[in-house]
Amino acid sequence: MATRVLCLFLLALFAITSASAQSDVPIISGGAGFFSATQGGITFLQPVVAPVLAVPLGEKWLIESRADLRGFISREDGTTGPYQGQFFDTLEYLQIDYNANSRLTVTAGRFLTPFGIFNERISALWINKFQDAPVIAAIGTAEGYSDGFMLRGALISNGRYAVNYTAYFSTLSNVNKFESERSTGGRVGIFLPGTRLEVGTSYERTLQDQHMNSFGADLSWAPYQLPLEIKGEWAHSPSGHGYWVQGSYRLSQLGNANSAIGRLEPVFRMQQFFRNQQIAGDSLPSTNMRRPDIGLNYYLPHEIRLNGSYGREYLSHSTDTNVWEFGITYRFLFPLWPGESK
Amino acid sequence: MKPWIFAAVTLVCLSSLSVAAFAQTGAKGSTNNQKSKPAPTTHGSPSDGEKRFQANCGRCHNAPEDISPREARAVARHMRVRAMLSAEDEKLILEFLAP
Repeated sequence: MATRVLCLFLLALFAITSASAQSDVPIISGGAGFFSATQGGITFLQPVVAPVLAVPLGEKWLIESRADLRGFISREDGTTGPYQGQFFDTLEYLQIDYNANSRLTVTAGRFLTPFGIFNERISALWINKFQDAPVIAAIGTAEGYSDGFMLRGALISNGRYAVNYTAYFSTLSNVNKFESERSTGGRVGIFLPGTRLEVGTSYERTLQDQHMNSFGADLSWAPYQLPLEIKGEWAHSPSGHGYWVQGSYRLSQLGNANSAIGRLEPVFRMQQFFRNQQIAGDSLPSTNMRRPDIGLNYYLPHEIRLNGSYGREYLSHSTDTNVWEFGITYRFLFPLWPGESK
Repeated sequence: MKPWIFAAVTLVCLSSLSVAAFAQTGAKGSTNNQKSKPAPTTHGSPSDGEKRFQANCGRCHNAPEDISPREARAVARHMRVRAMLSAEDEKLILEFLAP
């Protein structure tokens, strides 16, 4: 059923966009990658393609979608035996946006749950500076996706500061590939363009089973004077609470951004989670956990990035493990169909 | 699709791209194609569009290395929704991406 709906949607999309102006050409963007992760001696390989479709319609409308096509390959018995693999395909968002005015955009469909900054802004594999998500990313996001409608925009925006917001309602859905929880929530952020500093706070309430509240706070700072980025989040739910904080520094001041050294970017992330109570299916560590990671990214020309990182995971009721991760990502962008450049 | 086939195809494609990128690191000049780089800073003073891009989009990622005017419109509209930009921001960023 879902496949038929998707096919019909894509057919309608093609018909609409074919008739639209040449300047409204849709694009396929996104990232592809190949990742290797070894934790406690067990190695997993993950080939990933995450295409994004963006279809502008006229002056105010946009249809956009992102999928995640991922293989998950490991040895049958962990460290021995033949390799075996599984294939996962996830529709992360498929939404239609209407830019009502400069302060309001109305979104309907399947969208990334707007809780904190990781899920909406950093989760794209070519943006994320580590190949895995912070462990607390599951708090407040309901597996990451919601089906319903959302209001978003900037209430106030001037040269000195901006106040942005998102508010959404998600319905319960058991449709294959469109599963979601019944929930509501949103985020409010204050952004200072002069210093590129933003702080925000998020809230989510599930409206099914146990009605649970989740709260979060986030910070993002990228000073103009330095090629430095600092980001972090704190989140709390009945399952527990935790934080992650991440810093990266591109060595572009040694030469320039395109020199051999200037393409390097050391990154560091620290995260902790404190378990409060066991709640089935919350996608969080079963016990207290802390994990520092240190990594190095190398930005090649043509939107290719190599990355490697080492982390040490400390669990309160289990053996500590080393985590080695290596990967390559490619960011792509091209029009959905060929045509003249102008 | 079998994971192994998917993995092999992905790895071969990315390896080819990586080798090509390594080969072109430090190469001088650029090919003349339909795509162009976002508008460069002129006389050390960034345009309004570049300022808006750096203040909003540039906090999380770089501008695309090459982008055509046909593609820029969809990119700017996408960023308007993602980064909660105003109509004026969208217009200026569009001018920066595809002058």
